[in-house]
Amino acid sequence: MKRAFIALLCAGCTSGAQYAHAVVALVDVSGTYADQKAEVVNVIRKGLVPKLVPGDSLVVIRIDSESYTRDSVEASVKLDMRPSKANAQKLAFAQQLDQFARRPVRAAHTDIRGAMMLGAEYLREAGAGRRTMVVFSDLEEDLPRGVHRELSPDELAGVQVLAMNVKRLAADNADPAAYRQRLSSWEKQVTAHGAREFKIVLEPDKLAELLDQG
Amino acid sequence: MERLYLWPANPAASLLALWMLSQVFFFFARAPVHEALKAVARLCGNVLRVLSRWCRGVAESVAKRDREMIVEMGKGDLEAKIGREFHRIEGAFAKELARYPDMHRKIDDLVTKVDADFQECASAAPSAPGWSEAVTAVAKMPPGGDGVVKKVLEEIHKSAVAGEKKALQDFREATAKRHKLLGGMAPAWKELTKLASETGHAVTAALESTKRIDGYMESYEKVREADDKAVRALGWSSTQLFVVSVLVLAVAIGGAFVNFNLIALPMSELVPSGNRIGGMPVATVAALVVVLMEVAAGVFAMEMLGITSFFPKLELLPRSRRRMILAVALGGLFLLACIEASLAVLREQIVASSNALRESLAGAPVVAETASSRIPVVGQAVLGFVLPWILAMVAVPLETMISTGGHIVLSLVAGIAGLLGMVSRVAGRGMRSLFEAARHVYDIYIVIPLQIEKVVGNGKRPEHAAMGLRPAEEPALPATGGARRGGALEARR
Repeated sequence: MKRAFIALLCAGCTSGAQYAHAVVALVDVSGTYADQKAEVVNVIRKGLVPKLVPGDSLVVIRIDSESYTRDSVEASVKLDMRPSKANAQKLAFAQQLDQFARRPVRAAHTDIRGAMMLGAEYLREAGAGRRTMVVFSDLEEDLPRGVHRELSPDELAGVQVLAMNVKRLAADNADPAAYRQRLSSWEKQVTAHGAREFKIVLEPDKLAELLDQG
Repeated sequence: MERLYLWPANPAASLLALWMLSQVFFFFARAPVHEALKAVARLCGNVLRVLSRWCRGVAESVAKRDREMIVEMGKGDLEAKIGREFHRIEGAFAKELARYPDMHRKIDDLVTKVDADFQECASAAPSAPGWSEAVTAVAKMPPGGDGVVKKVLEEIHKSAVAGEKKALQDFREATAKRHKLLGGMAPAWKELTKLASETGHAVTAALESTKRIDGYMESYEKVREADDKAVRALGWSSTQLFVVSVLVLAVAIGGAFVNFNLIALPMSELVPSGNRIGGMPVATVAALVVVLMEVAAGVFAMEMLGITSFFPKLELLPRSRRRMILAVALGGLFLLACIEASLAVLREQIVASSNALRESLAGAPVVAETASSRIPVVGQAVLGFVLPWILAMVAVPLETMISTGGHIVLSLVAGIAGLLGMVSRVAGRGMRSLFEAARHVYDIYIVIPLQIEKVVGNGKRPEHAAMGLRPAEEPALPATGGARRGGALEARR
């Protein structure tokens, strides 16, 4: 009886990690998308950071020529369980983002999958119940010579991938089908590697809504 | 359907052939089909009848138990009331009787004093007898020629006048003294009136208590005899109490909800654990526990004050221990109220900080300090302090709800069982009628062969007897009286 009670108590007590939300934001700083950096930082400040609650975590990773390095991590935070401390952490994080926005960075190539692999690792490490990857990019990958990226089949297992503010290239305007084809191929790719869903988000308000749905 | 056609090319002929075959089949199968329908009707009817009886039995037994419970509750209540009245009378009499010797002595003293004063008032010095007449006679004597006599008379007159003056003076002094004595008696009279009034009040209170006891005893006698009127009144009173206690509890739950929301957010500052219990954050559970602790402390406080009686063991404790538990409960409540007040202030700070952060993230200029009203903070703090005390009162309606809940539950069970019994009874009769109707429909379908049989057999119907049908049970297709008779027979059974 006593053992059963203890077992019941243990079963009732669970770690809060499974209720936490881990978010990784991949920010493209290559090509024409580098000009969007300030706007992207603004979206993260206004749309992502306020949505986080104590226990959640947020990592901002830069998409540049070779993104699969720790140097690509621009800022990361895991919010404390105390609301007051979490607020202070959010403020500090916002300041880091501001610095990132001010710093002139422009990459020659675009290693999206490398950033995705790095982000997926951070998400796995967080062990959160809800995992979201927000990609701020034109989704036009351009790997440098000699760089090889291959996602494992369960690389993005259980991750919600949101492609935010996908910039249309000059060629896309001439041929929208190419743009759609590009988005479609990314959707196939991420879902094939275990992603829970892949969604294109145009408005920052919609991003907040999707984050709430988790 | 087309598969059954004998001649697919000619559906009409096929349908006619099928119909004729079915007529023949159903005509010969009539008796067993009727028997089967009757058996099923009997089975369903019996099952539903048994169910109906069982439900009615349950309803009666539950109602009986409810009645017994109400009577016992009523007896207990009235005994408690009578006991309380006796305690009051005992207390009042003990107090009054303890005061009686003092009062008696006081009255005796007052009466003695009043008597002495009265006697003293009466003892005034009488004037010398005949003195005034002598003086008058001397005063009226005609003045003679003798100078000596005249002088003597004048002297006598002078001394008489002086004596009269003195006597008047003495009289006035004596009167003033008597008035003073009578004036001194007034407080004694007042005291006597007050004592008499107090005695009158005590006697009136005792008489009122006696009247109340008489009323209670009358009700008690009625309840003891399980008088229908008294039991109904007790039942209605219980229902009324239950409804009122449920309403008050609902309000208290609303208060608890407000209280919980007030402390849930700041509690995450005190209990910053990421773990969850049953899906709820530990901080939320802690806030819930604080609210429940307030209710528990309130229950103990009410118990120790003698307002409720949840725990009979606690009633047996000596007065000193009861006081100790009461002090602990009230102290705990006070502490929890203080904690809640401080948490309410903390909550306001957290909310303000979150708002500032949101504005800062949105790019608004950071304002060092805004001039804002302190009313919300003070209001929340007061609410945080007051709500625990209000929640503590929940013990009273809770006890009432629990004590009257038994009657409500039993009444509901009895009502539902009675309703179920009635429905079963009606359903049983309905099933019998339904199967009876089915038999008639069956006969209507084979009406042509039945009529032919009637014409050929000349109304003798020997084949029916051969088929094993009793005349009383014959389905009376042409005349439905037989079926009715059969139904009546079954109903009688």
